[in-house]
Amino acid sequence: MVRVTGNFQSESPLHPKAFEVLHAAFENGWADPRKLSQSGSKANQVKNQAIESIAASLKVPVDSIFAFSSMTLGYYLGLQGLLTESLTLVHGATDRKDIFAIASRSSHHVLPSALDGKLISPDQQSRNSVLALSVANAETGVIQECEEIIRSVNPDRIFLDATASGIRVQGINNYSTAIFDSRSWYGPSELGLLVIKDKSQWSNPLPHLNAAHPNFEASLPLLLASAVAIENFSSEVEEANLRARKFNSQLRDSFAQIPDVDIAGSLDSSLPHLLSASFLNCNGEELLRGIQGDGFSVDSGSACTSDNLEPSHVLAAMGVLTHGNIRIAIHPDATQSEIDGLISSVKNNVERLRA
Amino acid sequence: MINIDARGLRCPQPIIELGKQISTLNSGDQITLYSDDPATEPDLSAWSRMTGNKFSKIEDEKFLITKN
Repeated sequence: MVRVTGNFQSESPLHPKAFEVLHAAFENGWADPRKLSQSGSKANQVKNQAIESIAASLKVPVDSIFAFSSMTLGYYLGLQGLLTESLTLVHGATDRKDIFAIASRSSHHVLPSALDGKLISPDQQSRNSVLALSVANAETGVIQECEEIIRSVNPDRIFLDATASGIRVQGINNYSTAIFDSRSWYGPSELGLLVIKDKSQWSNPLPHLNAAHPNFEASLPLLLASAVAIENFSSEVEEANLRARKFNSQLRDSFAQIPDVDIAGSLDSSLPHLLSASFLNCNGEELLRGIQGDGFSVDSGSACTSDNLEPSHVLAAMGVLTHGNIRIAIHPDATQSEIDGLISSVKNNVERLRA
Repeated sequence: MINIDARGLRCPQPIIELGKQISTLNSGDQITLYSDDPATEPDLSAWSRMTGNKFSKIEDEKFLITKN
């Protein structure tokens, strides 16, 4: 919900307008929109307006969109709902672990990644398949050549993971289901949106009694806050992208001057606000702590910073250095002085750790 | 042939040890690196691309590195 965020960590801050709505909703309370009482009807009306607003921003029909409460559930609903025993799942080596988890239970084929983070299209089409396709990677920001992959795989059904790209990348319309993460437009966490374009291809994978009524729900205040966030961010996204791209370019140019650096993907084919860079012979955890000591919070894909001591499977699949890694997310409120400070901090800490 | 037993060491230590040793060698000289760290294999791939040195996996936890 309302998150404690570091200035350059991937966990995005809540849009100020969404915060106001969330605060008001919790202060005033809300009725159960499924009840027939007057307040319940009003809550249902507000819920429908929120769904209509989000559907308009995502440019999808209002009756195709459903809110859910956890991203893991969203992956299961969106992807498992398309799979049948006769279909093979085709997905990318840089996809989220949630997709690997679903793939482990079914016949599957993994598309390898090139060094630039783009998936390598297969030589042969995969008949009787479901393609799980991430529009952009949440760690590196690399945007996939979606149309080309779809053409080369030629799947029966397509699950689109738009959780990282949100409304920053648009124009991919030929999918069966898609999921979005409210955080990508600076809405609240614990809220995602499932779009079911073709209901004939999807069946609810959760145990249910009535197929016509999805049995997953989301918190009404979070949905309202998400609707307000997407309404506002829709009008801000172009400027936010331009601003983030300028800062991202400065960071990449500065890091490229540090010897033995491995930057994942190019800015031209990445989300403008994300960057992942690895510094040879640096310990990721120590680098993170050093940068933190200078007042900047970043993330890392290095094994020494993860709970299971495994390196980032995304970096490993790309063939990018996994140790000494930092991941940076440039949020709309980032300032030039913060970017300059971060550049100095990274340079100084890399130099110190290599001494 | 130099052997580096980096088993038990976590990233980036195996690569740092390798970097120290290889800087003392001549082109074509080889090092056998033993490492059980899951990051070593993907990092060797990136390291060899960045430094121009070659590596091959001989068996689990055992890598042969040839200086460029």
